[in-house]
Amino acid sequence: MVIYDDIMYWLVLIFAESHPYSDWIRGILGGLVIGAVFGGALVMVYLERKFLGDIQSRIGPNRVGGRYGVLQLIADAIKLFTKEDIIPANADKWLFIGAPIVALTSGFLMVAVLPFDYLLINGSYYAVNVTRMDISILYLEAVSGLAVFAIFMAGWGSGSKYSMLGGFRNIAKMIGYEIPLGVSIISVAIMAQSLDIVEIVEAQDFLWNIMIHPLAFIVFGICLVADVGRIPFDQTESEEEIIAGWATEYSGMRWGLAFFAEYLHAVVGSFMVALIFLGGWNGLPIVGNLYIPGIFWLIIKTIMVIMFFIWTRGALPRYRIDQVVDLGWKCLLPLSLLCLVWSTIIGLVFG
Amino acid sequence: MINLEIIPFMIVSLIMIVSSILVVKAKDVVHCAFACVVSMLSVAGFYVLLNAQFMAVVQILVYVGGIGVMILFAVMLTGRGQGVE
Repeated sequence: MVIYDDIMYWLVLIFAESHPYSDWIRGILGGLVIGAVFGGALVMVYLERKFLGDIQSRIGPNRVGGRYGVLQLIADAIKLFTKEDIIPANADKWLFIGAPIVALTSGFLMVAVLPFDYLLINGSYYAVNVTRMDISILYLEAVSGLAVFAIFMAGWGSGSKYSMLGGFRNIAKMIGYEIPLGVSIISVAIMAQSLDIVEIVEAQDFLWNIMIHPLAFIVFGICLVADVGRIPFDQTESEEEIIAGWATEYSGMRWGLAFFAEYLHAVVGSFMVALIFLGGWNGLPIVGNLYIPGIFWLIIKTIMVIMFFIWTRGALPRYRIDQVVDLGWKCLLPLSLLCLVWSTIIGLVFG
Repeated sequence: MINLEIIPFMIVSLIMIVSSILVVKAKDVVHCAFACVVSMLSVAGFYVLLNAQFMAVVQILVYVGGIGVMILFAVMLTGRGQGVE
């Protein structure tokens, strides 16, 4: 891994504050990171189709690009781009057009603070990320909340009953789930005594948070699945009840962008689980890094979380909307408060 | 030599003024609600320009994520078309 170390050494030298071009190169790195996460979302779509096929005893995409259908997504994208761009006559034009834009903006803003590695160079540590912010976890939470507006804009702007139902369901669901999500994140931040993701990951170098604080992991995981709207909680677009929910009236590339924003959100959410609870770029607990660069650990963990998302989609049925709201308010909210108590105790005893 | 910070300040102010006028003047009550959200977001932009990142994030978290959603929830419960006449 000498090459990796060299590249990282070069990168970090540039990112050190003293370098005259560091701002510009940070900007370029930001573009690269956004591209990488974009690619990650594409990989997730492909993996999802393949593994869902396996779970349901199908083959999945197998025509375009060889036996494994690796180019299927490109074919789909070309198809979406060449389709007619339809805006329904009944639609509220500005909201209809704005919804995919807001969704993608929310996803890309979240990418800006994700750290990927932490390097010791010349005696001081540098985090490999686009923006080092000392409140990055609050920022992630705040920005991910913008996606709610995108879905409501799509639901209301489409001017159709089914879309509107999807948008309403989304708002009703998210009011219940943002609070436990926030409280479980805050309880982890209390244990690390920092709101910076880099420091939260650093605090896990011996034991991961999932071992010290499994309850917060469960609450956070459930709320995250609801947040990105995947299958046990995808009432906003449940096809048996309300056609496709908020996405009913969308077609062509607008539909593609809206769904791509969902996958982007899911990928960033997987990164968050890996960083906050699974130790981030730290290696196995107690054993250590095993001479594998941290970024590979992070990517392996993220892919495992993504696979878990896909597995739940294949294996679990969908909740009813009232059951989901009940679960959020009556079960997850008290549990998340319990998390807060537990992390305060841990902080008092060991902190 | 003018201070370069004036450019983002003017952009954010323009967004804020336009969206604030829209809050009062828009025909559809949902447009008013979204204009209100945009104007709250531009306040977060002002905080960033003042180097108060924590305030900016809390502004987004509380005003946009909390109060904005509450406004939309209220609009959704009152039904479409009210206040148009």
